Amino acid sequence: MDEFQEILQDFLVESFELIEQLDQDLVELENTPEDLELLNRIFRVAHTVKGASSFLNFDILTRLTHHMEDVLNRARKGELILTPDIMDVVLTSIDMMKAMLHFIRDNGTDQGSDDIEEIVVKLDAITSGGGSSSDAPAPEPEPEPEPVEEEEVDYSDMSENEIEDEIERLLQMRQDEDKARRASKIAAGESVPDAPEIVDEPKKEEPAPAKEEPAPAPEPTPAPTPEPKPTPVAEKKPAPSAKKEVAKAPAKPAASVEQTIRVDVRRLDHLMNLIGELVLGKNRLIKINDDVEERYEGEEFLEELNQVVSIVSLVTTDLQIAVMKTRMLPIGKVFNKFPRMIRDLSRELGKKIELEIGGEETELDKSIVEEIGDPLVHIIRNSCDHGVEPIADRVAKGKSETGTIGLKAYNEGNHIVIEITDDGKGLDADTLKDIAISKNVITEKEADNMGDKEAFTLIFRPGFSTAKTVTNVSGRGVGMDVVKTNIEKLNGIIDIDSEIDAYTKIKLKIPLTLAIIQALLVGVQEEYYAIPLASVLETVRISTDEVYTVENRSVMRLRDEVLPLVHLADIFEVDRVFDGGEHTYVVVLGLAESKIGVIVDTLVGQEEIVIKSMGEYLKGMEGVAGATIRGDGGVTLIVDVAALMQMAKSLKAKPAIAQIDAASKKKEKPSDYHVMIVDDSKTDRSIMKNALKPLGVTLVEAGDGVEALNILKSGEHHFDAMLVDIEMPRMDGYSLAGEIKKYNKYKNLPLIAVTSRTTKADRMRGVEVGMVEYITKPYSPEYLMNVVKRNINLTMEA
Amino acid sequence: MSDKMKNIIDKQQQQQDEPDITNLDDVMQLVGFVVGDEEYTVPILTIQEIIKPIEFTRVPQTPDYVLGVFNLRGSVIPLIDLRMKFGLPAAKQTDEARYIVMKSGDEVAGFVIDRLTEAIRLKKSDIDPAPDTASGEKSIIEGVGKQADRILTILKVDTLLDRDF
Repeated sequence: MDEFQEILQDFLVESFELIEQLDQDLVELENTPEDLELLNRIFRVAHTVKGASSFLNFDILTRLTHHMEDVLNRARKGELILTPDIMDVVLTSIDMMKAMLHFIRDNGTDQGSDDIEEIVVKLDAITSGGGSSSDAPAPEPEPEPEPVEEEEVDYSDMSENEIEDEIERLLQMRQDEDKARRASKIAAGESVPDAPEIVDEPKKEEPAPAKEEPAPAPEPTPAPTPEPKPTPVAEKKPAPSAKKEVAKAPAKPAASVEQTIRVDVRRLDHLMNLIGELVLGKNRLIKINDDVEERYEGEEFLEELNQVVSIVSLVTTDLQIAVMKTRMLPIGKVFNKFPRMIRDLSRELGKKIELEIGGEETELDKSIVEEIGDPLVHIIRNSCDHGVEPIADRVAKGKSETGTIGLKAYNEGNHIVIEITDDGKGLDADTLKDIAISKNVITEKEADNMGDKEAFTLIFRPGFSTAKTVTNVSGRGVGMDVVKTNIEKLNGIIDIDSEIDAYTKIKLKIPLTLAIIQALLVGVQEEYYAIPLASVLETVRISTDEVYTVENRSVMRLRDEVLPLVHLADIFEVDRVFDGGEHTYVVVLGLAESKIGVIVDTLVGQEEIVIKSMGEYLKGMEGVAGATIRGDGGVTLIVDVAALMQMAKSLKAKPAIAQIDAASKKKEKPSDYHVMIVDDSKTDRSIMKNALKPLGVTLVEAGDGVEALNILKSGEHHFDAMLVDIEMPRMDGYSLAGEIKKYNKYKNLPLIAVTSRTTKADRMRGVEVGMVEYITKPYSPEYLMNVVKRNINLTMEA
Repeated sequence: MSDKMKNIIDKQQQQQDEPDITNLDDVMQLVGFVVGDEEYTVPILTIQEIIKPIEFTRVPQTPDYVLGVFNLRGSVIPLIDLRMKFGLPAAKQTDEARYIVMKSGDEVAGFVIDRLTEAIRLKKSDIDPAPDTASGEKSIIEGVGKQADRILTILKVDTLLDRDF
């Protein structure tokens, strides 16, 4: 049974691969019905599937493919001209074949799949209709499947002997049939494989189709045909690229076909995960290397360490690229299905549409290839339906009757760009706005503030449709929303451009891979976050005056656009203890069709990150896509740009700087006033304490800047003034003052320098960092007391 | 050999010799720890490891008791403060504080506790189910263990690891 399963798997994989190419070939065939090579290729697919499915006892599938084969066979012998109507039937039957293969994949049998009678009759009609003039093998197929099905019915009631007899009988019949068929084929001028023992010697079935290849020998171009077939026999499954190569250059000898090997995707995924860990290790190594460099500057071993680190980091990067490449597939795999779609659509819509495909060899990650199909289908359907005008309109506008839809892929940095253009009626920004207002998608005020480009993006809003009637093809207002969601999932960006009556161009910019990503690290207060670089359009430094508030939301003007702004601290509930100052950084994020500016406090840099899940417990936290481990071993959260944009919408603008009124408590007695004394010398602290004792204020001591800062941060006391020594270990007075002034709520805390440094430069520096008074040692107790008293506005007596 | 060492070995020997606890099937091993003023225990098999406090990263939009996530040898693991989870006031971490990393199935999380006490072997017959008032689906108490002079609360790790926000 296992062996059967294995064979079945191989059969399915091979069949799906074959039919992928089939669609495109068929559409091409319609344009060039005389192309014999194409016909042969298509015929072979039907034949291969038939052969394998009869071996695997998929009777219904065998029957269907057999009839298809008949039609195609007649066509390639020139007995039948493939009109669009016949093509429709053939295409339908191929769709049915696909459906059946899917059914087999899901259920392991073809019993109970769709009814094929109708299509078989149609196929037969074509075979016999076109073939009435010649000796058609048409009547032949009919009896074949019937007895097989009959057999199935009686099966269970039979005794063993009866079964033996039955098998014998069936075998005989099959052989007779085959003989008859062969005879008829010979009569039809075709060479025939001698493989009648389908049941007896199944293994022979595989090479059989190969032998049949010389079949078209009577035709004038026999040379290319034998090549493609031996490939599947020798390797069983050539990669699509290899196959394409054969298809493009059929005259090449088979030996030069690329060597490929089929690998389970899970193994590649695992490999990718391991590389991810390695990248994190590399980041860590680089960070440690930097630290070591700083500490042991000039030491000899540093040179060696440096070398090792750079080699490791170089190799890791190469390895990462190499593994990424193994997961890459040409986007042609997705593009292939569109010629057929365009053909069907143009027939359905009564328009003439041509599809121009470019850059189908551009490669991108398998997981992305799988996701990109749906959005493209929707965009192209949209272009056909809304973009390209009906023939009459086009003629009236002086355009050519045939509309063109371009589908192009190319690389741009770490992204792949897919461009879909149509030369149709274009988008009208004003009309779009009107419709959006009438459908309550936006308000009139919003519409007024919208530029043309923003208006174009309205088509991606759910519930929005420009079509006046809902057609089979589009108009439900769902399709483009799907595009948006899927592209968002891939961290992609949509750019849309259009000119009325000229063109509409939709650009999808998608990162090459999802596993290891480049990220921009930003700081908010004391926290760090990673933003996928794929979503970062640019970073700008603006002054706080440039932030405006419109309808309760912060916005800024970026060139000719109005950009909504949101503070990352508000999104992530970070307490704003630091003051950002007059300038602030804005990271402009773009995702799918929307843009937003995110205010951050610092830009840290760019780093390669690997998305790690935070486990079930913290899964799906809003605004967080996951976490990564940084070079220093710490965990940094990765911003989920799509969610962030969503959250930003519901966020009301807050004043950029929230005032924290900490020391508003009423002071009734001198001991309600708190003064901190920061000095590394215990003696000096005692002198100050004694000097201030008469005031009766509460005194807190700290031995150096770090300790003072910690006391301040702990928030146990609200200080009214600080006496700061300048010369201190760990953190000196100047740095301490600088740190303190970073905090909003300590903006107005009087800092009094008490020092023996007396030069003018020292005083100047003191003023620069925000010291209000400068007391030089030695001083008289009264003087100190008065200075303090003045600065804390103490009026009462102890 | 120091007396202390000898003592420990004697104690271990004694434990092994105790006849009624030799059958492993009947014995439950628990790890005891203190949160606030109370001592709790969890089955030793639910503990992946116990580590000293390390740096963690806050995760927004979570309840107070979810402190954030930390890096445990390349895995990102949530950190939960049991004090706050139990509704006790926050207090400064002492040197004795530890992260207990517990797992149940695929779920792993670290829990901050005030201090560890000891590993306890308890006969299964000495464990009663949680009192009615504290039982039910959402209860975090798995059972109550009886020892000569005291009662031990055994926490249900499954419930602790359940996300309840």
